[in-house]
Amino acid sequence: MRNPLSPTAVLGGVIESDYLRSLLVGTVGAVVLLGVLGIAFPDSVFGDFSGIVFSTSTGASTARLAAPIVLAGLGGIFAEKSGVINIGLEGLLIISAFISVYAASVVGVGNTVLGIPALGVAFLAGIAASTFLAAVFAVVCIEFKADQIIAGLAVWLIALGLAPFMSTVFFGGVNTPNLGVSVGWHYSATLVLLATVGSWWLLNQTAFGKHLRAAGENPKALDTVGVSVSKVRYAGVLLSGVLSGVGGSALALSIGQFVGSGETMVQGKGFIAIVAYLFGNYNPIGTLGAGVLFAGLDAMQIRLQQLGYAVPDTLVQTIPYVVVIVVLALVGRTQIPEAAGEHYETED
Amino acid sequence: MSDPDADRTPSVLARLVAPFVDRSVAERLVISVAAILLSIAVGFALVLVSGRIAQCSTAAWTMPFTGLGFCYNPVEVYVVLFNGALGYPFAVGEPGLFNAGWTPFNLSLGLTLSETTLLIFTGLSVAVAFRAGLFNIGTQGQLVVGALATALTVLALAPLLPAGPIAGVVLIGVGTAAGAVGGGIWGAIPGALKAYADANEVITTIMLNFVAANVAYVLVLEVFRAEGSSVVATRYVPEYAQFRPWLFPPSSDFALLALLVGVAFIGALYYFVEHTSVGYDLRTSGVQAAAAEYGGVNAKLTTVRAMTLSGALGGIGGSVWVLMSEGRWMASIPDLGFDGITVSILAGNNPIGVLPAAFLFGILKGGALEIGFRTDVPTELVAVLRGLIILFVAMPEFFRMIGRYTGVAGGAGGAVSTGPEETAGGDGGETDA
Repeated sequence: MRNPLSPTAVLGGVIESDYLRSLLVGTVGAVVLLGVLGIAFPDSVFGDFSGIVFSTSTGASTARLAAPIVLAGLGGIFAEKSGVINIGLEGLLIISAFISVYAASVVGVGNTVLGIPALGVAFLAGIAASTFLAAVFAVVCIEFKADQIIAGLAVWLIALGLAPFMSTVFFGGVNTPNLGVSVGWHYSATLVLLATVGSWWLLNQTAFGKHLRAAGENPKALDTVGVSVSKVRYAGVLLSGVLSGVGGSALALSIGQFVGSGETMVQGKGFIAIVAYLFGNYNPIGTLGAGVLFAGLDAMQIRLQQLGYAVPDTLVQTIPYVVVIVVLALVGRTQIPEAAGEHYETED
Repeated sequence: MSDPDADRTPSVLARLVAPFVDRSVAERLVISVAAILLSIAVGFALVLVSGRIAQCSTAAWTMPFTGLGFCYNPVEVYVVLFNGALGYPFAVGEPGLFNAGWTPFNLSLGLTLSETTLLIFTGLSVAVAFRAGLFNIGTQGQLVVGALATALTVLALAPLLPAGPIAGVVLIGVGTAAGAVGGGIWGAIPGALKAYADANEVITTIMLNFVAANVAYVLVLEVFRAEGSSVVATRYVPEYAQFRPWLFPPSSDFALLALLVGVAFIGALYYFVEHTSVGYDLRTSGVQAAAAEYGGVNAKLTTVRAMTLSGALGGIGGSVWVLMSEGRWMASIPDLGFDGITVSILAGNNPIGVLPAAFLFGILKGGALEIGFRTDVPTELVAVLRGLIILFVAMPEFFRMIGRYTGVAGGAGGAVSTGPEETAGGDGGETDA
C-alpha cells in the first residue's frame, strides 16, 4: 500500500537505520550550539537560555521529571514487545503516585516498618498498586480478549477517578497534604539509569527478552517451541506495572505530595512516555534520550517562568505537549511488533 | 443480516429476540446493562471499604451480623444517587411507594437532563470517530475550543443586533455554528496528522486536550476576561441569546429545546452513518480499512472527515454548555469529553444508543450532585464508575464466560465464535472496531 519511494518511507528508513545516532547527534549538537551562543552573547536571549539549560536546578528538575516518563516508557516497551499495547501507563503512574504518598503518611515519615524506612515502604506500596492495576489490565486483555486500547483507556480513567476519590476519603481533598520530606533528584536519576541499563540487558541479552520479542512478533512460533504466549505476555504487562510504579512513586515522592486536581500531577506523562519509546524506537537507551528531552523541555519551562519573559506561564507549559505532537508526526509509524494488539489463541 | 444467523442459533432467547432486533445489538445491550450492574457492585464494595478506612465520629451504617461500623452507607449512596437524580419520585422510609408531591419538572431531574443533553453531543462525537475506527480522546479539547468560539462570537455579535428574541435565535444559531467550526478545526488537526503523518490519534488528541485548555485559558486570562471577575471567565452572553428553560426551574440550567436539538442530532447522525454513501465509507474504513481502500474509498480523506465531524460535534457540545449551562466561557470546564467516551462505549458506538446511554450517565452525574449534598461520600465516585463501565464493556468475553457457566445469558451471547465474523461482516461499530 505504501510507496517505497514516498518521502515518508524514505524518511522512515533513515530514521530506523541511523535512528539512535541521529537522535544523539541532534540533541548534543543543539545543546553545544546553545552553549556557544550563550557564551558569545551572554546578555541575549541565548545567554538566558543557556543559563537555564546548564543550571543545576534545571538538571535536578529534569531528573525529577524524567523519572516517570522514562520508567513508564521502559515499561511500555516490555508490554508492547510482548504484544500487548499498554496505553494505560498514565493510569499506572497516577495510582502509584497517590498510593506512595498515602503509604508514607500512614507509616509516618521517620518511622520504619520491618526496618524499612517510610519512604522505602512508600515506594513498595506504589509499585504494588501499579502492578495490581497492570495485572487487572493483563487479565482483561489476555484472559477476556478485551480490546487493548479501550481497556488501557479504562485503566487510565479508573485511576483518574480513583486517586482523587481516595484522596478525598483519607485527606478530605483531592490534593494530599505535603509530607514535609522529599526524595532527592539523585535517587530519581539513579533509578532511571539502573532501569534503562537493566531493561536493555533483559531485552537483548536474555532468553526472556527473546521470548518477549517472539510473543509480539510471531506468537505462533513461540507456541510451537513450547513456551506459553500468555505467560510471556503476563510477564511483559506486569513488568510495565512495576516500572511505572517506580516512576509514579518517584514523581510524587520527589515533591512529597500528590496533586489530584484536573488531570492530576501526572499531567499526561504516561502518554508522553508512549511517544518517548516510539521516538526511541523501542530501544531503552533511545527511550532514555527521548524521555530526558521531554523532561528537559518541561524543566526549562519551569525556569523560563521564573525569569519573567512577557509570555504567560500557561502558554509556556504547552511547549512540551506541542513538541510531543510534532515529534510523533515526524516519527510517524514505527516498527510496531507484528502481533501487537491482537489476541493470541493457543492451538492445541 | 441477522435472519440467517438467528435461524442457526439454537437458543430460545435468541429466537425470541431475533425478530425484533439485530442479535449483536441485543448482545451489546445485555453486555452494557451487565457492565453497569457490575460497576455499581464494584462501586458498592469501594464505598464500603473506604467507609471502613475513613474516619468519622458515628458509623453511618453497621453491617448485619458482624457489628462492623462503616462511615458510609453504600445502600444509602445508591438510593440517593438514583432517586435523587430524578428528584426523589420514590418515597424511601415513608408510607407509600411514591412521593405524592413529585413532579417531573423538578430541579434535580432538570440537572440530570442538563447533563444528559451535554453528554448526547460528546457521546455522538466519540461515537462517530469510533465508527470510522478512530479513537477520539480529544472531545474534551474540541469542546473547550468550541465553547470559547461560541462565547466570543456571541459576545462580538450581540451589540450589533437589537436585543430581542429574533436576535436571540440568530445569535444562538451563529454561535453554535462557530462552536462547530472551532471544534471541527481542532478535530481536523489530529485527523490530518493521522492520515498524512501516521501519528497515533489517541496520543495527539490527548496532547491537544492540554494545548486547548492552556491556550484557551491564556486567551481569556489576557484578552477576553470579564472586568472584575474573580475567576478566569468571559463576560456573560445576553440572556436572550441563551437557551431558555421551559417548564423546568431556571437554576437547573436545563433547556428542553437543547435536548430536542440533541435528539434531532442523534436522528440525523444515525441517518448519515447508516444510510448515506459518505457514512458507508466511514463505517467500512472503520471495520476494514484495507478493503475500503480497495473499494475506492479515499481512506486519508475519510479519516480527516470523520475527525472533523467528530470535533464539530464536540464543539457543539461546548456551544450548548455555554449557551445553556454557564452563560459564559469559564476555565473550570467539566470532564464532559471523557464522559462522552463512556457514553459512546456504553451505546456500542451506535448513535441511537447514545440517547439511553447519555440519560443513564446523566443520572449518575445528576445523582453525584445529590450525593455531595446529602452524604459524606466524595462525588469523585462517579469518575471511578465511568472508568469501570468502560473496562467492563470492553470485556464481553467475561460476560459470555459467566453466561456459559450459569447457562443464563447463553442466548444473548450466542456462540462465542460469532464475534469476529460479525465485525468483519460490515455490521461495524463494535467496541473493538
